[in-house]
Amino acid sequence: MHRLFLTLSRVMAILGGFVLSILILIVCLSIIGRSANSFLHTDVAQSLFPGLAQWLIDAGVGAIRGDFELVEAGMAFSIFAFLPLTQVTVGHATVDIFTSWMPERALRILRALIEVLFAVVLIVIAVQLFSGMQSKIRSGQTTLLLQFPVWWAYAGSVLGAGVAAVVAVYMALARVAEATTGRSIVTDELGAEH
Amino acid sequence: AQEVTLRLHQFLPAQANVPQLVLDVWADNVEEASGGRIEVERYAAMALGGTPPELMDQAIDGIADVVWTVVGYTPGRFPTTEVFELPFMVEDARAASSAYWQMFETHMKDGEFADVHMLGTWVHGPGLFHTDTPVESPADLEGMKIRGGSRLVNQLLELLGAEPVGMPVPAVSEALSKGVINGTTIPWEVTTSLRVSELVDNHTEFEGPALYNLTFVLAMNKDTYEGLPDDLKQVIDDNSGLEFSIFAGGTQADADGPARQIAVDNGNNIITISEEDADEWRAIAEPIYESWIADMDARGIDGQALIDEARALMDAYDG
Amino acid sequence: MSNLEIGIYSFPALLILIFLRVPIGLAMFTTGFVGLWLVQGTADIALARLKSETYTTFSNYSLSIVPMFLLMGHFATLGGMSQALFKAAEGWLGHRKGGVAMAAVGACGGFGAICGSSLATAATMGRVALPELRQYGYAGGFSTATLAAGGTLGILIPPSVVLVIYAILAEQNIAKLFLAAIIPGIMAAIGYMIAISIYVRIYPERAGVRDRVPYAERFRALGAVWPVLLVFVAVVGGIYGGIFTPTEGAAVGALGTGLIAWANGGLNRSTLFESFTVTARSTAMIFFIVLGAAFYNGFLALTQVPQEMSAWVVDQGFSPWTVLIIILCFYLIFGCVMDSLSMILLTVPIFFPVISILDFGLVDLIAMQHEAAREALATVTDLAPEMRAQIEAAIAAGAEITRDMQRALDIRVTSGMANALAEERTAIWFGILVLIVVEVGLITPPVGMNLFIINALDRTTSMLETYKAVLFFVASDLIRVAILVAFPAITLFLLV
Ligand code: NA
Ligand code: NA
Repeated sequence: MHRLFLTLSRVMAILGGFVLSILILIVCLSIIGRSANSFLHTDVAQSLFPGLAQWLIDAGVGAIRGDFELVEAGMAFSIFAFLPLTQVTVGHATVDIFTSWMPERALRILRALIEVLFAVVLIVIAVQLFSGMQSKIRSGQTTLLLQFPVWWAYAGSVLGAGVAAVVAVYMALARVAEATTGRSIVTDELGAEH
Repeated sequence: AQEVTLRLHQFLPAQANVPQLVLDVWADNVEEASGGRIEVERYAAMALGGTPPELMDQAIDGIADVVWTVVGYTPGRFPTTEVFELPFMVEDARAASSAYWQMFETHMKDGEFADVHMLGTWVHGPGLFHTDTPVESPADLEGMKIRGGSRLVNQLLELLGAEPVGMPVPAVSEALSKGVINGTTIPWEVTTSLRVSELVDNHTEFEGPALYNLTFVLAMNKDTYEGLPDDLKQVIDDNSGLEFSIFAGGTQADADGPARQIAVDNGNNIITISEEDADEWRAIAEPIYESWIADMDARGIDGQALIDEARALMDAYDG
Repeated sequence: MSNLEIGIYSFPALLILIFLRVPIGLAMFTTGFVGLWLVQGTADIALARLKSETYTTFSNYSLSIVPMFLLMGHFATLGGMSQALFKAAEGWLGHRKGGVAMAAVGACGGFGAICGSSLATAATMGRVALPELRQYGYAGGFSTATLAAGGTLGILIPPSVVLVIYAILAEQNIAKLFLAAIIPGIMAAIGYMIAISIYVRIYPERAGVRDRVPYAERFRALGAVWPVLLVFVAVVGGIYGGIFTPTEGAAVGALGTGLIAWANGGLNRSTLFESFTVTARSTAMIFFIVLGAAFYNGFLALTQVPQEMSAWVVDQGFSPWTVLIIILCFYLIFGCVMDSLSMILLTVPIFFPVISILDFGLVDLIAMQHEAAREALATVTDLAPEMRAQIEAAIAAGAEITRDMQRALDIRVTSGMANALAEERTAIWFGILVLIVVEVGLITPPVGMNLFIINALDRTTSMLETYKAVLFFVASDLIRVAILVAFPAITLFLLV
């Protein structure tokens, strides 16, 4: 069971990583295009190979239109896609010092309570984000430059938020089971890497 | 004693022109006319969270009670207002703000803006170019990276051969000083806080109708308004509507003068395109009218009729 | 309860949650949510905020730097840059007393120049340098403490994730903050090396000896670090030079290190996936704290606590320096138990408004006028001799250059310009100071993330040994903070 959710979270993280990589490429291509465009407009380029320079400019050599908007939309998806892995590998920052004296049993109960709270919060976040997406569908709002519907970007985020909520519910159940049975279910598998 | 607290949320710093000269005046008037029963808490620079494009939804959802926002931040949602954003459409901010409010009442109140209680609708003073190299004819813009403020401005820049760059207003100074952009389109009034006149030497303004304009709204959450006792509703009503819209647009446009003077004092090169010379520019901008009308048709709105009505109302204004 | 009271009580409530082991982002989120509920009398409005606030927070263009820098650091390791840096530093420093430890600090500094995170720097360099330190007879606690302290250079030397967050919160220029961090960052590396040399003087038996490396080999090792230099110059230089925005710089850095790693054979499908998952885990952790902080700070703004607090500080008439020192001490104390990013996100919205209105005398209007006037006098030719004499007299007397004189010289230096400059300098200087004191928190016992990370790499060394040895490095940090507080010009030097 734990393996299953771990694998699901890893797949989401890798998907988010791919989107992040694509955004990095878009930004770099945009810089190259922008520099090339500026160069083609220089007197040097215009006098050395005027025809070619103009042809390249007309062909659209320049910054990628709306790269800013693509980064924003893609980044939101990536972050939401990263969330399940942090959830399932207990990767959130905590202050442990004041609870280290607690007996193991009390700690287990505390952990279960916290994980239940986390699940509730992530469910609320996913549900509200979904309702935000619906209102963006209704309003027909688009982005400024590319003019794609804003809800497309929301839809990607809703997917990530949904998986995060599901994983959080699993973690809450697992922690509650640990608290009631005393068994260890959640293993900190990626913890050693970081 | 104070009964109602209204949270007014907007995106500019408190000391900028519009917050100081328009919004504070509105808020003070409302507080005074209510005999202190209404308090307006002012949250500048997105202090309540979110980003500027979210302001409209914040008013609809009640996250803030009153918001001031640029309609163009939410492209596609309020298409009718764009009639005042068309290039070379608006000459006088007061006349346009008056026409805007009248057309709001007939076309938008129960349509696009049905989810909010509207307090004021206005446009800023003439938008113009501020550039590093002089722009005297459309050909000068070829290949320049220019920051545009709205959907239609970006279309216009493209037709003129410039490369439109999208960025929020506060990022403009930085981008200009680093040469990331060659120029920006904003009205004079905004150049003061952005110190644009220190960053570029050239300004290109148009006689007659302006290069472009942006539309603003001051909008209130519907439930908050409906929940007010009748006498306080009256206070809000007395301070909103046609007269307030004209005041707001006029005040904002009047702030252009001192800002322009800074550029003059600085010895900057101010290029004024005469009405005849503007013909060349208008011809290039013409396709925007056509595509806008087609776009409106697709939405089931008669775009040409809106243009005609806006022009007639602006001509009829004699404030 | 008034809104202000709700805002004030939220502090202890938040701290109790955090100390009860509630993840920091979740604690801030929950406190902010309940606080909004109490202030507004209904949960509907807080819920409505959630329709867009998670999306707008996660899609913030400036924040997209964070995962890009994290990925860049990971690619740099895969490209063998951490190894190359350590080999080069070891070649030049290793034979000295304590030299291998100094080399580790030097390599951390080099790696910090291409990595935006302290934890990643500590983990990476720990894996590279710890085995060598132990092999050459360096004591356990000394070795772990050295690397934990060296790891903080990951943040102190730009690029730096914490500085990015500070820049966004305080609305300051990321490029200028990066530039201002360079000298204090180099001072940190030198300070740690001094701490090492003092340590080995007191405990000579805790460091072994290593043979001298021939010069030919030293230069060969040095030659192998060129990719690091290339990436640093491209990213930080490109950002400051205005070739690209900070986000673009981060993207260039990530792509560049990725290509280098691929060329060196370090990047294949499995290591790429591993880079993604490691980046994912830290990124989501950071962004959840950012989200919690955004929610909590939105609530605090409604209660007017930050405004009331800065008004209170002004009313008390404390000297600016007292206020600054109290704030820095607060960070040092909380840093013992809290993590650096959380502290920044939690406190900067409260402290920054207070600091930004205080006058530390960082700008001298008269001096600015004189400088501009002197420059203009040298070039202006058509100046009436009378006016020239007047201006020269004013400069000699240390008096103001009046508006008329300025007009004659065609210059403009107003008090408004001086104030704006002073505000910016204060914000940058304060940002660097805060950066340093929160980073001290990473190595102060009992809770120091870097200490934990390095200690986990060495099973034979007890936490207590690490704690003891790290105090030398903490002392070096405190001395550096004192110097930078006393001489703001050191931080601002590169900006002028
Ligand atoms: Na760094
Ligand atoms: Na600590």
